[in-house]
Amino acid sequence: MKSTEDVNRVMEAYADMVRRICVVHLKNKYDTEDVFQNVFMKYLLYEGSFESSEHEKAWFVRVTINACTDWLRALSRRKWVSLDVLAEESTVLDNPSKEILETVLKLPEKYRDVIYLFYYEEYSAVEIAKILGKKENTVYTWLSRAKDILREKLGGEWS
Amino acid sequence: MSSTQNRIQKSMENIRATEDMKQNTLRYLEMQRARQNHSIFHQKPYATLRYAVAIICVFLLAGVSGYSVYSRPVSYISIDVNPSIELAINRFDRVVSAKGYNADGQDILQHVSLKNISYLQAIDRLLQDAYYSRFLNRDSQLVVTVVSEHSDAMLEQIHANNSFQALDALTYSSDTACMNEAHQHEMSFGKYRAFLELSQYDADITVEDCHRMSMGEIQNRIKSCQGHNRKNVTEENSGKGHQYKHSKSHGHH
Repeated sequence: MKSTEDVNRVMEAYADMVRRICVVHLKNKYDTEDVFQNVFMKYLLYEGSFESSEHEKAWFVRVTINACTDWLRALSRRKWVSLDVLAEESTVLDNPSKEILETVLKLPEKYRDVIYLFYYEEYSAVEIAKILGKKENTVYTWLSRAKDILREKLGGEWS
Repeated sequence: MSSTQNRIQKSMENIRATEDMKQNTLRYLEMQRARQNHSIFHQKPYATLRYAVAIICVFLLAGVSGYSVYSRPVSYISIDVNPSIELAINRFDRVVSAKGYNADGQDILQHVSLKNISYLQAIDRLLQDAYYSRFLNRDSQLVVTVVSEHSDAMLEQIHANNSFQALDALTYSSDTACMNEAHQHEMSFGKYRAFLELSQYDADITVEDCHRMSMGEIQNRIKSCQGHNRKNVTEENSGKGHQYKHSKSHGHH
């Protein structure tokens, strides 16, 4: 079991990233909070060690994505979900940002991951492939299709 | 940095974990840590230990119940000369306890081990013992009394013993009521049965008197009383009337 010091350290280092990945996947803030807790609980109970901070960060990305996927699978049995995942951010987001974010969140799940990891976390396609356990070419294809959709929805400035 | 990247980063940088979210999670984790520490016995590394404990418990239980069956007596044999010894026999015909009911009996048990062998071996060992043999003289009387549901079969087997046959011994079967009464008087049930027999002829005899008498003396008194009572009666069953026969004594006055 990880020490309190370790838990406090990773909370400071990765809380925002975990929350963003949750937002990218989930539909409301309650689900986000639950998965957020689950991810750090998995860290608390994780018996392995990390070779480097990059290794540790990649572990958090992968575990968070998996936790979200598991959560959504469980949620698929629910009849309805509220779409208020951005309720807390609605006051701080300006209109263009809100539009971009909402468009990203409407992308198919696999595209959302690569867009977030590539553009926000600045992982390379090779790294993303490793984190997601996919082929590099698949990541390139998903990135390309995701950009096409964003270009279509948001206008021609998307490269 | 491309404008796409700029725009996406800008749209996402305001998404942050709130302080509440972090603190709630930290509290939740500490609670879980405390719970995990509390139930540390249930954690994975202890699973093997738990299985081991369970298996040990099963063996202990089997051992304890097996031992309780083994150690539960179902029959009793009282062997009286002057030494009075009682053997408790389990369902496997093994001696599970031996108790001396007078000083001589206790002395013998100090140096002759009779436990965990068959009752036939125990009787044989006793009769072969040099110290015990000193009590088996011309004036003495060996009396073996059995309390068992299978007393007839047991007595037959005892009679089959060569050392036993050579000793002109008397055998009787008795019952648990008589045995319990005897134990209340701190007397072997074999000797107590003899006391009950004597008391039929001699109303003045007491258990305390019999405590001080050897079996030979009691038997002689019985014989002499029988002789006295039969002065005018045809002498039948004179002498050793019970020898090599066993009669039921229900132990009631």
